[in-house]
Amino acid sequence: MRAMSKSALITGITGQDGSYLAEHLVSLGYEVHGLIRGQNNPRAAIVRRIVPELHLVEGDLHDQSSLINVLEATHPDEVYNLGAISFVALSFKQAINTGEITGLGVTRMLDAIRVVNPAMRFYQASSSEMFGKVRESPQNELTPFHPRSPYGVAKVYGHHITVNYRESYGMFAVSGILFNHESPRRGLEFVTRKITDGAVRIKLGLETELRLGNIDAERDWGFAGDYVRAMHLMLQQDEPDDFVVATGETHSVRELLELAFGHLGLRWQDHVVVDDRFIRPADVAMLIGDAAKARRVLGWRPTVSFSELIAMMVESDLGAVAADLPARAAPTPR
Amino acid sequence: MSAVSRRALVTGVTGQDGPYLCELLLAEGYEVYGMVMPREVVPPEVPAAVHLWEGVLTDSASLTAALAAAQPEEIYNLAAATSVAASFDDPVAVADVTGLGVLRLLEAVRGSGAPIRLLQASSAEIFGGAVTSPQDETTPLCPISPYGVAKAFAHQTVQLYRRSHGIFAATAILYNHESPRRGPGFVTRKITTAAARISRGLDGELRLGNLDVERDWGYAPDYVRAMHLALQQEAPDDYVVATGETHALRELLDIAFSAVGLDWHRHVVTDPGLLRPAEPIRLCGDASRARARLGWAPTRDFPAIIREMVAADLDRLDQTVPPTAQAPASPAAPRRGEPG
Repeated sequence: MRAMSKSALITGITGQDGSYLAEHLVSLGYEVHGLIRGQNNPRAAIVRRIVPELHLVEGDLHDQSSLINVLEATHPDEVYNLGAISFVALSFKQAINTGEITGLGVTRMLDAIRVVNPAMRFYQASSSEMFGKVRESPQNELTPFHPRSPYGVAKVYGHHITVNYRESYGMFAVSGILFNHESPRRGLEFVTRKITDGAVRIKLGLETELRLGNIDAERDWGFAGDYVRAMHLMLQQDEPDDFVVATGETHSVRELLELAFGHLGLRWQDHVVVDDRFIRPADVAMLIGDAAKARRVLGWRPTVSFSELIAMMVESDLGAVAADLPARAAPTPR
Repeated sequence: MSAVSRRALVTGVTGQDGPYLCELLLAEGYEVYGMVMPREVVPPEVPAAVHLWEGVLTDSASLTAALAAAQPEEIYNLAAATSVAASFDDPVAVADVTGLGVLRLLEAVRGSGAPIRLLQASSAEIFGGAVTSPQDETTPLCPISPYGVAKAFAHQTVQLYRRSHGIFAATAILYNHESPRRGPGFVTRKITTAAARISRGLDGELRLGNLDVERDWGYAPDYVRAMHLALQQEAPDDYVVATGETHALRELLDIAFSAVGLDWHRHVVTDPGLLRPAEPIRLCGDASRARARLGWAPTRDFPAIIREMVAADLDRLDQTVPPTAQAPASPAAPRRGEPG
């Protein structure tokens, strides 16, 4: 038995970052608990397969007493709050639920920690969506927030309340302001994965076109595996603080299309249809993060470039989609 | 009287500002609906002409029902868990009412499809830790209490619904505003009541936290006028409502105790137990936009507000017959009948 191993609780364990963070913490010798909502969550099996060492515990960011019970049962040294309604477009349709989970859920967890053991360290997954319609570029930890979506507004709330618990109650609570970060495990509703998956399906003859919204939108896209390392580093410091995590470079959806379709020997112009329905009510302008503080204080830096990231995602989708095809049979339209 | 009266729904009708706003709206010829919580005691200051309707900001269905009943053209959202100090004890409940409540209200407005205008009572506490002074509508939000964080959420939600959904939703960023109707838990009223009681020999001392706190204190009836004006414009916007001058608690003590011929230094005890975990040191509002666009200006200066509060507290004491002389008075106003 390990005498001194640390333990961690991760909310949002079935999301992209949850599995990368769990893998990372397990590799560092942590005992890792993942908060899971409800019974029979189909994504639980996926994360269990990726991280067999993971312990799943039931609880819900809607229900504070369930969080208290989980903290009392698992006694984590570190709590990583990744749980959220994280898809911006969905947040416009489910604004109240987004406020409940993405916003108020943070307070429920912080307050549960305050009640159970305020020495537990807390990481809040904040987001560059908080900056919204930015008035200065690049953005750093001091940039004001002008959120443009219910998701962004709720994340600003989560950020502020995290800072508030740190300053008012003296808790080790930090906020990591993460810019977009992608991976082969990204959900299909996100534009990066929608494109890499779409390109692969077109390549394999399963689809003929890909419908997208604003292809001129630019984002600062990094690799999720790099970003979870930063989360962990933030909780290992002497003092709690907030950090921007970003690559510091932006790329347009158009460039992403070039890379993804190009990797498969296709021309995106032959397949992409721009569809106004996918343009959000209040789209954000250019987001680009200045992670100088994370580089300086945490010694963090990204290891995967944008083109490597997109190639990694296309290769992964190619493997997954091809594996689903009947062997040797001609692909049939779905 | 206009042929068709306008209709307004006011939440938080039982607070300090609710009755003042109802009085103003009634005087303007509005039909006024006041939303109250189930079993809430309605104070006598709420005008009798106000139709009371039960609803709570934590329950979307009750808000939809209130909108259907009141059919308002204007909604004034004054409801909130208003005590900054108490917000440290239950941040979750504060966020649910003060923050998410506004989102539920806006969703109800959006769902109704009606061209309803909404005024959100924002608070200077959204600037709690501001590094610049005075603050205006462009000052970055920097809340430092659970109350301020929830108010910041509400504020940004209103801005979002204005921009993304085209709803006529305005905010009045209200700096501290006082009146004889201020609740006894607020420091101004605590001081004026104490000065009155000490002058009558009913109390000996007053315990306070941080005496160095400075605030921009205005007059509540002036501030509800700004809220109404904000909804009469061509387009919705945010308006700081403030006097633009700050006063320290020490000045407040000077004015209040002088009004009853006393020296506060002999009666005030500072109590570290009353210090908040985090407290804005100096909040001062720049109301230039409200002055220019709404034609708004405060009508009472600081000493006049405090003296009016002390006088009202003395009147209340004088109207209270000593308890030994008669049977106990009824502790609260009788609850008014159910709406509709």
